[in-house]
Amino acid sequence: MTDSNEQMGKAVKDFLAEAEEIIDQLSRDLLGLSDCAESGDCNPDLVNSVFRGAHSLKGLAGMFGFSEIAELSHNLENLLDSLRLGKVSLDQGTMGVLFDSMDLLGSLVRGAGSEFSDASAVAQVVARINACSTAGRKVDAASPLDKLGIPEKVLSTLTEYEEHRLLENTKKGRKIYSVRASFNLATFDQDLGELVEVLKRSGEVISTLPSSGGGLGLSIDFEILYGSEKSTDEITTMVEGENITVTRLDVAAQEAAVSEPAELPSSTSDEASLTAKSFSQTVRVDIAKLDELMNIVGELVLCHSTISELALRMKRDGFSTLALELSKAAKSLDRKLNELQKGVMEIRMIPVGQLFEKMSRIVRKISKEQGKKVELKTFGADTELDKLIIEDISDPLMHIIRNSIDHGIETPEERARQGKDEKGTIRLSSFQKGNHVVIDVEDDGRGVELEKVKRKALEKGLISDATFLSEREALDLLFMPGFSTSDKVSDISGRGVGMDVVKNNIAAVSGMVDIESRPGEGCRVTITLPITLAIIKALIITSVGRTYAIPITSVQETIMVERKDVLTVERKEVIQLRNATLPLLRLGSFFEIAGTSDSLDTYYVVVVGVAEKRLGIVVDDLLGQQDIVIKSIGETFKGFKGISGAADLGDQRTILVLDVGGIISEATRGNG
Amino acid sequence: MKKILITEDSATMRSLLVSTIESMDGFEIVEAGSGFEALRLLPREKVDLIITDINMPDINGLELISYVRNNPNYQTIPLFIISTEGSEKDMEKGLALGANEYLVKPFNPARLQELIRRYFR
Repeated sequence: MTDSNEQMGKAVKDFLAEAEEIIDQLSRDLLGLSDCAESGDCNPDLVNSVFRGAHSLKGLAGMFGFSEIAELSHNLENLLDSLRLGKVSLDQGTMGVLFDSMDLLGSLVRGAGSEFSDASAVAQVVARINACSTAGRKVDAASPLDKLGIPEKVLSTLTEYEEHRLLENTKKGRKIYSVRASFNLATFDQDLGELVEVLKRSGEVISTLPSSGGGLGLSIDFEILYGSEKSTDEITTMVEGENITVTRLDVAAQEAAVSEPAELPSSTSDEASLTAKSFSQTVRVDIAKLDELMNIVGELVLCHSTISELALRMKRDGFSTLALELSKAAKSLDRKLNELQKGVMEIRMIPVGQLFEKMSRIVRKISKEQGKKVELKTFGADTELDKLIIEDISDPLMHIIRNSIDHGIETPEERARQGKDEKGTIRLSSFQKGNHVVIDVEDDGRGVELEKVKRKALEKGLISDATFLSEREALDLLFMPGFSTSDKVSDISGRGVGMDVVKNNIAAVSGMVDIESRPGEGCRVTITLPITLAIIKALIITSVGRTYAIPITSVQETIMVERKDVLTVERKEVIQLRNATLPLLRLGSFFEIAGTSDSLDTYYVVVVGVAEKRLGIVVDDLLGQQDIVIKSIGETFKGFKGISGAADLGDQRTILVLDVGGIISEATRGNG
Repeated sequence: MKKILITEDSATMRSLLVSTIESMDGFEIVEAGSGFEALRLLPREKVDLIITDINMPDINGLELISYVRNNPNYQTIPLFIISTEGSEKDMEKGLALGANEYLVKPFNPARLQELIRRYFR
């Protein structure tokens, strides 16, 4: 039955995706827990959240036969259950076991698609977990629940965990209340959420019990079990609503209380600023579906261009009134399309923070391996990038950071000798710059050792003479294919991964990478990326009889140049643009197409730039601006420098889109 | 067609339950990703069977069972609990509150199908 096999295959994919999400959330929660483990004052919701994560993972893994993951999560869940029920205390030892279990779970889930299995590691961690469970067992001076005077009806719907929370609240000396409210069936989740937020500020919401409202069945009642130090009156004022009653539940304590001291009611002005989002409001979307949506929007954009053109032709042919109306309709369509386009693009954007978290794990791992002390500082984790771009730069970024630790940051002893802090710092930052996003990796290590680089390049025959290399040119050597400065036989940096591979990977998403170095002080790698790859505005130009598109984001300006202003320096054409020299490029010679346009006295030059590099592309004609969708031209042409794809112009013409970054690299290296 | 309400916060688990039930004839499914969603769906869909997990974020399965069993409109609807091993005390409470059957995760699809058929003979 292929149908059920397909279903199973899809289900496994869903499981792995969900498992990854659970693990990400667990990692975040564990970090939160380790912060409060010291003070011993952990938010019970946090402990519960970690427990539920392991619990879900266990259930899921069991269903799909991932026995190692299931076993590990099962044992982890037991430990966490003991933790949340207060049977085991949360100390450094326990935190250590939790972190290690998490790391192993992460590897197992990521390797779950393949044959990856590590039975001995699992057995070891499980043993440690169980040791932890038994060692930390607290003597539980349990005060039975029934002595509290809480009605059986309320107790009967409490899970074991909620019972524990109830006991904890009484142990802390809090009073137990029942807050009863009635809500409209249409909006109860929001209304209840708001009420719970208010209550949470002064106590703990232990459980929420729904029951049918009276009347026509349009309402729903909730009985909230609540623990707080505040008095009945204070709470009543706090919740400030009709249909809400507050009753004290723990009878024994009630009888003991004489008169509550008159306290001022707490201010409730912040009810207005409530954002009651106590449950997830997100939807998981397959990125392929988003690609499809983008394509459709792209086609719509082309339809719109056709309509605009028709309007123009109608006007020319004398149907001016109709043409005017069509134009107006087209403009309105254009506005809506822009909004739609923006909307779809925004769905694909995710914050780079996720990537940064991954990097911090890598920094910890590699610095430990290398015996170096490194701290990773991150900035701009909120900056957003297209999901696919983030996925594609994850590996290059990892290699850059690896290089930084391997070659840049010195050993603690060497750093001390130089008067530096024993702990090296890698500063990972991200920010938006116009239509690009920049990711910076800066370390305070020894910088690039230029002499070593030049020597290596000579040895490998990449250059013949190193005497006249400028610093910039020497740094560029690092990007040459086959270059690697590791002189250890066991290549810790990873075999054959040089900056050339990093650069290619980044170029594949239309980005650029640059290195700056200060000897003895450190090194900075800058990655410049487009925010998104999908629909872009482009300048349409012709050169040597062919039409090309240049992404507007790379275009700085267009100028007219007279032949007499063109100077030749070292066999390359340049002009003076304001106070700088601008190298020129003729597409004809770059792409080796015969028939150069050298006969004109004045021509257009499109000044393009990415990061700090600029170039003037000589063109025959400027045809205008247009929205285009860049489509890949396939594997065969992938290595072709200077072209990033092709686009449909709408009138059945297909043109090539220039890869400005690639052209600039080639041209400024002297190959153009 | 009999309508079955599935209340379960794990999307993967939900889709497993769905595929197990859909491979039987004569049943259609309504999905709720949380207790709150179930509360919203019940007045709108005429449900013939409810399957619920116990550990869920907003209201837990026990509270859902209590709600259902205390409402004259839903009192007689058969109710199954599907929850993970280790929550025996919670399972017992669920049965005491009026649930009809319970299944332990990882659940045996054949057993679930058998139980469902039994209730609709």
